[in-house]
Amino acid sequence: MQDVTVSALKIAYLRECLSRYNGSTGYLMLFFAMLLFIIVKGSEKEKKIFVPMSVLSVATVYNPVFPHMITLFTKIDSEYYRFFWITPVVILVPYIMTKLVIMLMDGKIKYRKTVIVLLVLAILLSSGSVFNSGMRIAENKYKIPDELIEISEIIHNDSDKEYPKAFLEFEYNMQMRQYDPKMLLTIDREDYLYAVSKEYTTEMVDSDEKPQYRLLAGLVRYQKVNNEKLVEALEMTDTEYVVLTTGSTMIPILEDLGLEEVATTKGHTILKYNQKEIVPFELVDYSGCYVEGL
Amino acid sequence: MFDVIKGVLGIPLNLIIFYLFGALVLRRKGKVVNEGLNLIVGFFTYYILFFIVIFPFMIKYRPLSWFMTVWIPLCVIILVISAVINRKNIAELVSKGILFARENKAVSIVILAVIFIQILIVTCTYNFTLDAAYYVANVTTTIDTNMINVYDPFTGAWLDHYEVRYLFATYPINDAVMCKILAIPALVQTKLTMSGVIIIIVNILYIMIARCLFREKDTNRSTAIMLVMIFIVNITFYTIFTSSLFLLTRTYEGKTIVGNLSILAIFYIFMMMISDEEISFPWLSIFIISVGSMTISSSGNMLIPAELSLLFVPYMFVKKTLKPLVKYIACMIPGIAMLLVYVLYIEGYFVFYTYPR
Repeated sequence: MQDVTVSALKIAYLRECLSRYNGSTGYLMLFFAMLLFIIVKGSEKEKKIFVPMSVLSVATVYNPVFPHMITLFTKIDSEYYRFFWITPVVILVPYIMTKLVIMLMDGKIKYRKTVIVLLVLAILLSSGSVFNSGMRIAENKYKIPDELIEISEIIHNDSDKEYPKAFLEFEYNMQMRQYDPKMLLTIDREDYLYAVSKEYTTEMVDSDEKPQYRLLAGLVRYQKVNNEKLVEALEMTDTEYVVLTTGSTMIPILEDLGLEEVATTKGHTILKYNQKEIVPFELVDYSGCYVEGL
Repeated sequence: MFDVIKGVLGIPLNLIIFYLFGALVLRRKGKVVNEGLNLIVGFFTYYILFFIVIFPFMIKYRPLSWFMTVWIPLCVIILVISAVINRKNIAELVSKGILFARENKAVSIVILAVIFIQILIVTCTYNFTLDAAYYVANVTTTIDTNMINVYDPFTGAWLDHYEVRYLFATYPINDAVMCKILAIPALVQTKLTMSGVIIIIVNILYIMIARCLFREKDTNRSTAIMLVMIFIVNITFYTIFTSSLFLLTRTYEGKTIVGNLSILAIFYIFMMMISDEEISFPWLSIFIISVGSMTISSSGNMLIPAELSLLFVPYMFVKKTLKPLVKYIACMIPGIAMLLVYVLYIEGYFVFYTYPR
């Protein structure tokens, strides 16, 4: 929860966390409802297992003041939701559901069909599904797009360097080095996370300390960036290749600035910037640091 | 295809390794045997020992290959010793398992089917997650450079200092070692082998929890049904923040293991203790899980002490005893110490450089 902070939301921080954590599912509410059931009708064993820890959780983890206390010691903004994992939702809810199913199977509940229909409806209406987001079958054994493998091969075949450097768009940038560690990347993860949600200021775009900002501003956010400054950023970062979605309005601009098209794949165009001077990347030689024989 | 076959074979290989480590730690004459707990404690014991051995190599920027020349023989010795000491118990375990399957065919089929479906989901689907850019790229970078945490997994650039957030969580480096031993790509080791391993171990834990809850009556049938119910909850408790989603889409990541294995394993031990069920070495097991979780993910540093407090402070009230207090504090110390180390690093009190100064 990168954009949810204790300092900004204060007491409302916990409510926002819970709302995002729970989403459109009703499982957290279901957990506390079942906890109430345990308190009223549960066995001694069930009460001992689930009640004391849940009561203490309500007093701490689910207490709006608690995040503020923690932030006195350490930043917790984007990770606080992980405390909710301690609440045994995936144990108590299935446990009660199992007891209900067994009672249905053993004929201990009247109006079985009605109860079954209501149960199924309750689950379907109160939950999302891990399949809703468009989970898809992997294209290959690496579980990355075939196109990414193709882009890696094209760049390595074209480059005379063992470690060519490339600027890639968000998704492929995050995946390339999982497959190909010999592909250096211009942009790191944190810079890209900033780029996908925030605009760059003029100071950031003009900064020579982080030329990556200029590239992200121009090529990803389509902010106005001086063309020469864009090329300068490629030089300052030793970037040789730029891979953009075919049809991106930046491709003709980059080609006018001297980049050449190397190849196109199913959805991307690979451009090369032939830099005057580029020092090939080499692994640091640590052999001089070692005492013989360890 | 051969990579995939090796990756699949890596699943039982890892399980056997973890079980043998656990059997060496927890099996004692005259003590109650909990085979599932052996496997889980063995998992964390393995990663603790891995961390202890690799840390001096890493902090003194020695190559991964040097570390492997020490680690592999050490591992083999431990595994052989455990296999020899526990050979009768292992044979008994296998025959008990076969007998159970024969006598409880329907229950066994349901349990195996649920686990198999989950393995298919986690190993055959495409999932784009940001943290894989660290976890998997750290494995490929380690293999390619033959150095441990010296190069940035995100860009490939050389780092002049170790990132403390990742320094103590050496879990991905074991993936690099396994990749070199099995000669498989990092994406197969992480998204196939380790995903399969984690799903199996977590489901064994679910079975243990179900058997504890339904101890009194109709245990086998109830366990099978509860496993199905847990599966339904896991696939429907779906937001990007739930441990269920992490389990089914980010199975191989360290924080997933902490959220689904560490937390529930400690909960299971707590359940057994508060229900006065017989369990051998509960506090040793909790301590191993606590320390081991730190080597899996830095999330363990805050989550495990929090969980221990939420479970065992009320436990002492319910049981009206302070006897476990020292053990509870001892189990908290590793996580709190690591949190302190991280805070000191953030505040700039120390840095570990990747080169001699």
